[in-house]
Amino acid sequence: MSNQVGIDVGGTYTDAVFIHDGNIQHTAKIPTRSENIVETLLDAFDSLNFVDETSIDQISVSTTLVTNAILQDRMTPVKLLLFSGNGMKVDALPWPVSYRELSGEIDFRGREIEPPDQGEWEKLKSFDLGEPALGEKPAHVAIVGKFSHRNSLHEEQLASYLRQSNPSLQIALGHEWGQANFYRRSLTTYLNLGVSDLYHQFAQQLQTAVRTRKINAPISILKADGGVLPLAKLRPIDSIYSGPAASVLAALAQNETSTSSIIVDIGGTTTDLGLVLSGAPLLSSKGAQIGPFATLVRSLAVRSIPVGGDSVLRATEQGFSLESYRHGPAYCLGGNVPTPTDAMRYLGLISYGNEQLAEEGLASILPQERRSPKFLHELATAVMETMVDRIVEAINSLKREWQEEPAYKVWEVLHPHENQTFHTLVSGGGARGITAALEKRLRTPVQLGCYSEISNALGAAMARPTFDCTLHLDTYLKHYRVAETGEQGKWKGSLRPYLEVEEFLDTLAQQQAVRYGIKIQDLEKDPFDFFPIVQGYKTVGQIVRGAVHQRPGVIGRVSI
Amino acid sequence: MKRTGILFFPAFDWSLGDSHPEREERLLYTQEQLFEEGILDLPQIKQFSPRVATRHEVLRTQALFPNSEAHTSTLDAHLIAAGSAILLGEARVRGDIANGFVLARPPGHHSGATVWGNRGFCTLNNEAILVNHLRAQFGIQKIAIVDTDVHHGDGTQDIFYHDPNVLFISLHQDGRTLYPGTGFVNEKGGPNAWNQTLNIPLPPGTGDEGYHYVLENWVLPQLQAFAPDLIINSAGQDNHFTDPLASMNLTAGGYGRITELLQPDLAVLEGGYSIEGALPYVNLAILLALAGEDYHHVREPQKLDHPVLTLASLKPYLQELKKQHQTFKPNFTIQNKEFFPQGNWIYIPHNVYYDTEGFQETRHDYIRQCSHCAGTIYIESRRSSSPQSILVRIPFQACPECEQAGYDLWDHLLHHSEHTSSGLLQNQLHDKLFVWERKEGLTQL
Repeated sequence: MSNQVGIDVGGTYTDAVFIHDGNIQHTAKIPTRSENIVETLLDAFDSLNFVDETSIDQISVSTTLVTNAILQDRMTPVKLLLFSGNGMKVDALPWPVSYRELSGEIDFRGREIEPPDQGEWEKLKSFDLGEPALGEKPAHVAIVGKFSHRNSLHEEQLASYLRQSNPSLQIALGHEWGQANFYRRSLTTYLNLGVSDLYHQFAQQLQTAVRTRKINAPISILKADGGVLPLAKLRPIDSIYSGPAASVLAALAQNETSTSSIIVDIGGTTTDLGLVLSGAPLLSSKGAQIGPFATLVRSLAVRSIPVGGDSVLRATEQGFSLESYRHGPAYCLGGNVPTPTDAMRYLGLISYGNEQLAEEGLASILPQERRSPKFLHELATAVMETMVDRIVEAINSLKREWQEEPAYKVWEVLHPHENQTFHTLVSGGGARGITAALEKRLRTPVQLGCYSEISNALGAAMARPTFDCTLHLDTYLKHYRVAETGEQGKWKGSLRPYLEVEEFLDTLAQQQAVRYGIKIQDLEKDPFDFFPIVQGYKTVGQIVRGAVHQRPGVIGRVSI
Repeated sequence: MKRTGILFFPAFDWSLGDSHPEREERLLYTQEQLFEEGILDLPQIKQFSPRVATRHEVLRTQALFPNSEAHTSTLDAHLIAAGSAILLGEARVRGDIANGFVLARPPGHHSGATVWGNRGFCTLNNEAILVNHLRAQFGIQKIAIVDTDVHHGDGTQDIFYHDPNVLFISLHQDGRTLYPGTGFVNEKGGPNAWNQTLNIPLPPGTGDEGYHYVLENWVLPQLQAFAPDLIINSAGQDNHFTDPLASMNLTAGGYGRITELLQPDLAVLEGGYSIEGALPYVNLAILLALAGEDYHHVREPQKLDHPVLTLASLKPYLQELKKQHQTFKPNFTIQNKEFFPQGNWIYIPHNVYYDTEGFQETRHDYIRQCSHCAGTIYIESRRSSSPQSILVRIPFQACPECEQAGYDLWDHLLHHSEHTSSGLLQNQLHDKLFVWERKEGLTQL
């Protein structure tokens, strides 16, 4: 017996779903009152008609709050201090925020090349890091060093220096994002700190609402990688792009366990696409890009293309063009402009909308003398084909991303991804209308998904935790690093560990799971990479890289 | 904006031996450096994924003796490095990128026209396989290869020695002081490709200033005169002052400048074994220079603290070298075997030592003197005392007489094979390959 609640707090609507033992009991869609999130949540709970609030096992929430705050530039201002060292010029890459460079350099093994200059730190006091004025928020400072994921020394030194003169500073350190890429690490640290106040406020509202309705279930938040994490453990920035992740999970929850599928979610103005390989959603090989910010946030490989049921059709000399914007609803639903929805209605692919209006709308694209059923039919078919073209192009680009993942080992090149047979799962407003055209083009079975109006809430409700623990061990320098947590510790084991390092990684993973408050099962292990470190033709130690993962997935299936 | 392709294939699961310089660790820190810099986030950089070269792509350029099966167990990594070079070369020729860097292991420039095993860490010649692929598949006519590895690119020289359409220039530490002990100014090309090979041996201790001076005053004018369709840089990094195997004094910034001066269409990694002190920085500088970014902030942590040969003392050496270079005139021996088709056949004996496994290859090369094309080549090769294998090469743009001569020689082999264990006919003109083996007989690839 299990009871799941999924909530999706979007900018316009809040969706909710209540699932009991894989059966959807109630769904709800209510307008989001961004000035009163608590009330919104209470309304959502109420419309789910719980019989017994205490029997709820889990509440999972997906939200666009952080995404929108970043895109609309509603973040808390953050001062960004960089130990940029030598190498590529910092401004070779586009920085959407200002920063200040400080001296001090660490190398790729985590060795200090040049110590920081305390004289420079003195001058930081005039850099507006002073005590906050009464009623003002304390200043937020992000400190990021090149190769800090190998050694956090300079970041820690500067943090403690700044705290001495100003204990109220909110400081975030880059090494906590323990993956390579100084640029992305800097921007990720910046963003996470910039949205943290906002996120904590949201977390409180969420807890208030849950407590008010006397629900005791733990609250989890959906992340961009399609996994959930307890509210208090989540790093706010990880909650971006949970929408597309949720729609992939919702599809997964309605699908066979081990099939490979293309997920197509057709909305009014955009279509979201995802890829599921043998039951596991494909993760992007690069971190997520949000607005002008390149981040280290792990996310599902998804595509969002500006074409949907309400995209505007415009007459051109060649016939028509399918625009990437919307001007209200389709003509057949009382709008002012013809859209693909009108083409679907005219062809009888969908049953909603006024048939007469659909024809009228489409006719407006044709010259007077060609407004006959024959040409109208041709036009409507061509519109559907254009739409399918765009979708298929994006699907192919996703598949290429999967097939052309860089390979760094001989084994990987000799064992490329096998071609798989894909099923296609289509959901969303225009889903029914495009099924036939899509099936014809992809030559694979196309299945219709249900509950598309609440798919984000459904995906959140069915998501299971994801987990990654990536170890980098340097036995010669006797230190280890964990990419996901930024943990940096001393290695006390042998110079050439073998089984020892497997146990070590297992222990680290268990500890990390406890810290996250999640249960991990069926962990997937990457093969370890062993790099003998040689000095003067003698092996003096090893660099070992290894990782365990719990891939994104769903806790079960829902009946449809 | 210049689009720069990168194919990074560090072969993290492959080595020539536990503590061998060519080991898993070699590009590990380069990966750390490039990824940490966020270089793949530069909008002009496009990353490509590797592919395996086919047997045809290899045999078009190099004869694997006694047969390709004898090498299959050790060839995987080499085939990927060669395939990677091809893949990025194709992207360049198609115009997908303006230039590119094949940052792949293992290297290839010591591997020559005939291959019995690994030598100087090389089994397949990545650049040569790439060059002939582009000529065969894309009709590229003239290609220049500039080898800036500290070791003489003897394999590449061997492959293109008779080819007037490939200009090969190698700058290296003087062969009297370093492996492989060749690459002197008198090696200027075969009878049909005289002056299409240029060797510039440099004294130990040469630094950035001297090296750039040689490029600007000798190499670049040669390149300009040749006017190639493509320039390939064999970008070895062992001229760096921290390299454990050589004695030159170049810096990472110096390598950036080399790249900027040469403006190669493709740079292909060769040697370089200062895997911590040099490679992360040199690779970064080369890539930045290719991408048109400022490389002056790339600085290796170690300081250059031994004396660098001054330009003043290098200049007289170079003057003398140039003079010597000019004095060497073609001087070839004609030696026709009774079964040779009509024409004058130049005989060049050639011995190759395979240092990795420690054996000797004995070669007898015969080149048909021709004023119309590169001339058909006939090579008898044997490893130590094994039976001989034979390579017949009909060159790109071969004239009808030379093509006929090639087929006549091949025909002779098929009918008089008592002393021969295997043979390969490379018809580069029509991109056709024939393999003959005592056991298997004749096959066309």
